Amino acid sequence: MSLLEIQDLSVVYEPRGAVPTHAVKHANLTLEQGEFVGLVGESGSGKSTLGFAVTRLAKAPARISAGRIVFDGTDIAHLDAEELRVQRRGGFAMVLQSGMNALNPVRTIAHHFGDIFAAHGHVPKGRRRQRAVELLDKVQLPSTVLDRYPGELSGGMRQRVSIALALSLEPRLMVFDEPTTALDVLVQHAVMDTIRELQAAEGFTAVLISHDLGVVLESAERVVVMHDGEIVEDGASRQIFSAPAHPYTQMLLSHYADPRAEVVELPGFERKAPAAAATRGAEDGAARTGAREGRAAAHDAIVVDHVSKVYPPPRRGEKAVTAVDDVSFRLEPGAAMALVGQSGSGKSTIAKMVTGVERPTSGTVTFGDLRVDRLRRRQLKTLHADVQMVFQDPYSALNPLHTVEYTLTRPVENFTGLKGEAARERVLELLETVGLTPVEQYAAKLPHQLSGGQRQRVVVARALASDPQVLIADEPVSMLDVSLRAGVLSLLEDLRADLGVSLLYITHDLLSARVVTDQIMVLHHGKVVESGGTTQVLRFPEDAYTTQLLDAIPQPARRFSDGAAS
Amino acid sequence: MRYALRKLGLLVLTLWAAVTLNFVIPRLMPGSPADAAIAKLAQNGPVTPSVQAAIEAQLGVPGGSIWDQYVTYLNNVIHLDFGVSYTFFPQQVSELVAGALPWTLIMVGAVTVVAFVLGTLIGIGAAWKRGTWMDSLPTVAGSFLSAFPYFWTALLIVFFLGYVLGWFPTSGAYSATAVPNLSWEFLGDVLYHAALPAVTILITSLGGWILGMRNTMINTLGDDYVTFAEANGLRGRTVAIRYAARNAILPNLTGFGMALGGVVGGSLLVEQVFAYPGVGYLLFNAVTNQDFPLMQALFLMITVSVLLANFLVEILYGVLDPRTRR
Repeated sequence: MSLLEIQDLSVVYEPRGAVPTHAVKHANLTLEQGEFVGLVGESGSGKSTLGFAVTRLAKAPARISAGRIVFDGTDIAHLDAEELRVQRRGGFAMVLQSGMNALNPVRTIAHHFGDIFAAHGHVPKGRRRQRAVELLDKVQLPSTVLDRYPGELSGGMRQRVSIALALSLEPRLMVFDEPTTALDVLVQHAVMDTIRELQAAEGFTAVLISHDLGVVLESAERVVVMHDGEIVEDGASRQIFSAPAHPYTQMLLSHYADPRAEVVELPGFERKAPAAAATRGAEDGAARTGAREGRAAAHDAIVVDHVSKVYPPPRRGEKAVTAVDDVSFRLEPGAAMALVGQSGSGKSTIAKMVTGVERPTSGTVTFGDLRVDRLRRRQLKTLHADVQMVFQDPYSALNPLHTVEYTLTRPVENFTGLKGEAARERVLELLETVGLTPVEQYAAKLPHQLSGGQRQRVVVARALASDPQVLIADEPVSMLDVSLRAGVLSLLEDLRADLGVSLLYITHDLLSARVVTDQIMVLHHGKVVESGGTTQVLRFPEDAYTTQLLDAIPQPARRFSDGAAS
Repeated sequence: MRYALRKLGLLVLTLWAAVTLNFVIPRLMPGSPADAAIAKLAQNGPVTPSVQAAIEAQLGVPGGSIWDQYVTYLNNVIHLDFGVSYTFFPQQVSELVAGALPWTLIMVGAVTVVAFVLGTLIGIGAAWKRGTWMDSLPTVAGSFLSAFPYFWTALLIVFFLGYVLGWFPTSGAYSATAVPNLSWEFLGDVLYHAALPAVTILITSLGGWILGMRNTMINTLGDDYVTFAEANGLRGRTVAIRYAARNAILPNLTGFGMALGGVVGGSLLVEQVFAYPGVGYLLFNAVTNQDFPLMQALFLMITVSVLLANFLVEILYGVLDPRTRR
């Protein structure tokens, strides 16, 4: 008998006063004991909904509308709350995406274990602490963690704790919902290793839900692909990797590439020749609604010279934090440079200093004649006409109450002085530039009516309102589905090639850095450990840290290449 | 522990600042109580210097340098000596306050705590069973009742329960014939007299606590640690209390601190309507009779009680939320 049989399962979202949506449509899936299965799809594919339904955690407005979930011979789709609760021990467990928030902030880790042991009574009182230590050891955490509060642990440690907690149920099925997405790149890699080792050692059936086909292909034996609520493909990882049958799987796979490869291509993305900055001169500027009026037409480089940023100690008695340590670089007009590194490497602090939001502790930042590190409030406006930011999260970067037109009209009025009909014309022109056509329709929309990719285009359009010379993009595509990424990256590329906008591209994603930038700087603890041509640095890294970052990227190709050869 | 000591240090500092402000502000006002009294007398004819000196002596208008005054004042405050009341001459202000304070603390204070506890419990139940009658009944009733103005509810209750039906006494803290002592009989009498004002305060403040707790708990119920606790098969009661409610109560503590701090000063209307001999009643008399020493003492007490309540809540925060302890 199979461990889990999902038969004709449908899940529907029925929000009050809104049209119901069918998140999972007639899914059929059978899992055997000890399998490691990956469940892949983009946002809205229904993969998480399926995961929550299988572990019976789906809450209103979600509802299982049809089908059976047979776990070890029992249909759990229609169990009542208490029967279900008892089933969870020795049954099915779940590790949530945001493991950071999966722990109760006001209870110690020992309490968390204690609550589970008490709820199921499967570990006698005297042995509980010892058992918790054993479980922590399995996820490679020391026993000292027990007396800590969640707030005192790092993100990776918290995710390990939640894995240990889920494990304490002695489950036969474990569902991991994007277990590493919220974590730092290097930590992601380590946590995935732990999950793989645990699965092999404990022999539970694992379902790994992820948007990242690379992660899944590297870990799972079998891959299930979901699209639009339906399971579109189900096969062995090797087969999915080498010969995907469904066009959707093929599309997902085509967006996956190794940044170390000789030639890297992303579908829908085309590299253009670097813009000759000088060609975009007076005539070009004059033709464009006078946005540049009164400003120098010439393009300037951003020069960062021996810049450091030291923050005061977070708490008394601790050391001061050096976020950026003696960094120098020059961003030429029309050039694209990547700043890469894990979180805390100082890359966002550099962005803040270049935009004048933070002042460096020492060193200088200059843009043309402007001393960015010395600007006062009013001069900042001058700087921001030329240097603009694109933020990571398009979902929170737009005010949900305002239309796209309103969002864009404000900066247009502020920076160009255009009013009324002229401002509106400029707004429509911006929408045209970022490819949101028909422009009239998009102008009238509210953020929630747009997809993530479209929202990010609006954010880019907003940054373009002042007709800037420099765009600083802080992880502009990391929140987007792969199928949308290429579009936004192409947009940045077009801006650079056609308008001569230079690009400072901040990311932890080496693949996108490889395709959109020429120059790269690798940051570690605020220091530049390696810099140079992007292709050169990524293909032949010299610093150990760069290699570490590259190794953290899932490499299904490596896993399957030996097999393919033999 | 270090957290508590730090907060204690802060409390002492703010107390000193409050006491000093209480000294400085009246001295920044033009004129003095003596001037006011003399001006009143002057309407009836000329005031001789000896009368003026007598009034000033009687009112205790301070002499000496400002520094001497400050030192004397601080010394007096420490010894709880606030001078003599004008209205209830020759009673000491401290005696008057000491007589009124217990009634307010017992009646208003206890009701505030009860309202908070009860409202929070009902709020927990409403959030846990959201969408059912256990949610809609208290939330609708709560918002309805708390929309009533305080004094209006008080008037309605006095009129119907006290006057028309005559079930409860309409004024005083105990019967005129009762002798204050520690007997059950007297205690019953006190409770009987406190019933109407207490019910008024309960009715008007309960709704706010219910809604506040329900709304924050609905938020925490959506948090990942609650979902994860359910995924781990914890019992419903554990999830509701130790996970959802335990976190939801934290933001409500601030409101509780403010309500506690307002106990001493905020009972004015209710005590007035029910002629309850508490601090609010005393304050009302002090203000209407321009009884400056009494007012000054009461204002100081109101400030101090707000500070103490805040201190208490901060310590409570420290106990309940490990994140604040660092």
